[in-house]
Amino acid sequence: MKLGCTPLFRPVRLFALAAALSLAAVHADEYSDISQLIRAGKLAEAQARVDRQLAAKPRDPQMRFMKGVIQRDTGRLADAIITFTRLTEDHPELPEPYNNLAVIHASLGQNEKARAALEMAIRTNPSYATAHENLSDVYARLASQAYNKALQINGNHSATQPKLVLIRELFNPAATGPHAAPTAPTMQAAVTPPAARVTAPPAKPPVPVAPVPVAAKPVVTATAQPAASRATPAAAPKAAAAPQAAPIDGQAKEVEAAVRTWAKAWADKNMAAYLSAYGQEFAPPGQLSRSAWEQERRLRITGKTRISVSLLNLNVTIHGNRAVAKFQQDYKADSLAVLSRKTLELVKTGDRWMIVKETSGA
Amino acid sequence: MKNGFFALLLIAATGLLMAPVSANTGNNGQNADPLPATRLLPADSAAEARLIEIYRLTGAGRTREAMVKAEHLVHDHPNFQLAQLVYGDLLAAHARPVRNFGDVPESLAAGTKDTLAELRHESQMRLKALRERPPAGTIPSQFLALSPRNKHAIAVDASRSRLYLFENTAKGLNLVADYYISVGKSGIEKAAEGDLRTPLGVYFIISNLDPKSLSDFYGTGALPINYPNVLDSKRGKTGRGIWLHGTPPSQFSRAPQATDGCVVLANPDLDYIIRTVEVRTTPVVISPRLEWVPPHSAQAESKPFEAALTAWRDAKSSGDIDHLLRFYTNDFHSFGKTLTEWVPSLRSEVDRVRGRSIQLKDLSYLRWTDAADTMVVTFGEVADGSLTGPTKRQYWIRQGSEWKIFFEGIIG
Repeated sequence: MKLGCTPLFRPVRLFALAAALSLAAVHADEYSDISQLIRAGKLAEAQARVDRQLAAKPRDPQMRFMKGVIQRDTGRLADAIITFTRLTEDHPELPEPYNNLAVIHASLGQNEKARAALEMAIRTNPSYATAHENLSDVYARLASQAYNKALQINGNHSATQPKLVLIRELFNPAATGPHAAPTAPTMQAAVTPPAARVTAPPAKPPVPVAPVPVAAKPVVTATAQPAASRATPAAAPKAAAAPQAAPIDGQAKEVEAAVRTWAKAWADKNMAAYLSAYGQEFAPPGQLSRSAWEQERRLRITGKTRISVSLLNLNVTIHGNRAVAKFQQDYKADSLAVLSRKTLELVKTGDRWMIVKETSGA
Repeated sequence: MKNGFFALLLIAATGLLMAPVSANTGNNGQNADPLPATRLLPADSAAEARLIEIYRLTGAGRTREAMVKAEHLVHDHPNFQLAQLVYGDLLAAHARPVRNFGDVPESLAAGTKDTLAELRHESQMRLKALRERPPAGTIPSQFLALSPRNKHAIAVDASRSRLYLFENTAKGLNLVADYYISVGKSGIEKAAEGDLRTPLGVYFIISNLDPKSLSDFYGTGALPINYPNVLDSKRGKTGRGIWLHGTPPSQFSRAPQATDGCVVLANPDLDYIIRTVEVRTTPVVISPRLEWVPPHSAQAESKPFEAALTAWRDAKSSGDIDHLLRFYTNDFHSFGKTLTEWVPSLRSEVDRVRGRSIQLKDLSYLRWTDAADTMVVTFGEVADGSLTGPTKRQYWIRQGSEWKIFFEGIIG
């Protein structure tokens, strides 16, 4: 499970946020700065800045969301619950606060509450993949609890361990930075009318919006955060596509093949092939180390009985040795079925295209 | 969604093909009854009926509703392990395919295979009893004649893990309720102390133990029965302390085969029985498999016996002791006395009633047939001109076409 960090990009939400933000717009840089601080673990500093911003703009949803994340990361769960709950009240259209509430409830063993919150998140945004995954885990935990009672296994029987590993992931403060990025586009949305935004790419070139993983590890802005990048695809490729187009038909084929190989490895639960599709500079989401991320993927993928991944409307754009593949991902695993948008950014390394960034959005 | 869910659907659905789920349908209750509501709807069966409703909804693919109901059921009865198992399946189906009933993850199931098997067994037995309902208007073949003093009667069918509670009305026996029960770990046909088996035969409830005197293990109460009865003792069977009792706090119900020989019911079910039945006059028939017959056919069956009983009464009234003794077996005994030792007391009884005819008041007789064909007879023996007489019990056995008495004694 991950803390949710979807970007706010659906038009409706964009609009809502734009409306909310236009009253008291916080500069985009501020979000990303704070997000970076959080991810760097400089929570006190991050909080100071959040507090400063909120003093001026107390209703700013992004800031409040970050405040909740910081509260959670610093163990002030009751405060975090209040923060996220108020966000759900003021912005019932946003799934993220519900999702994070669920994560906190689950961390307190309140799986029923977690379930309720996740169901709200999904009601808010039916294709919100993180909430689906989290909900699936919560159901698994609830099922384990019921089975334990059925079989009269006391407490945390060792048998429940595998489940618990999954659940620990849930507490992983993966989400921290999330909202740094999403804000960027949103902010612009605040400036330009939302309607226009959806069709027209941002005035700025893709780089700032979607900090493509030019740099290796410390990339930052939003690289790691699915949230961040989810916004990206909408904006970036359009700008990018035009200039490149011509020379690289063959390359596009290679990229497409790489993406399909990756999807097949996933569906086949071929972990070696799956993980090897990710390049060295791939930055796992959140603060996960590469090995922790691999472990999480292993648990998630091998824990499923059956997986199918089909890609629809695959669209590849190439910039030199970099490529962006955008598609609709129709993912089915056991009882879970999520149709979501996915963007993979790939870098050609030797003769292989390796994934360096993976983002998904509803 | 989930094809894996099929198995569960299937199990639930097949279970319900013919089960109109009411354990209480037998009730065309005369509303002279002062407490019709409580009497017609015993508190418990609620829990089982709710479980079955969850099966039904699941079978119909209405898993959302099923899950909500399961959640409520386990909330009300957190110790109802079977309900927890079903709830677990319904929850798990949201995270992975559920391939069979009680699809506990391998890791959890490892140390608990037996418990899981028992829960599945319990589920099957509950469904079996609901699927194989007694035909309307029939009674267990053992209940040939009950007196108005037998206000209730109980029959246990081990093959269905079920206890049937009857009310004896002017119109005959009326099925009031039936409950899931557990019997001995080693099954039925108790023969010896410590064999962990439940006895088979015709018994009576002999007392109602104060729950305060019992440990939690017995739940909300206990109704001891008179095992070993006269037939058991004649056959050299040993053991004692066979009770109908409840479940410990940790368990709503126990596995079909779980006890040391007692018949165990869920506490709400036992409570209802305790509130309802009378000590001493409530028969408890425990059968490997009940045979349900229409009351009139039971009456027809009992004609030869009735004739024998009438002949015995006439012989006793006539005072012809030699003729009377022809009704007793050679191995007759009465509370330890052999026939020879007992004849003097028979003679003095006959002397006392001489000249008057004897009436058998409040006559009841229950038939028990296994390797032998026997009759457990209870009546008040009242000579004409007397207002009262002793309550007697006799055990008869069929020898060829003749019925003979192998026990007789005053029980009250």
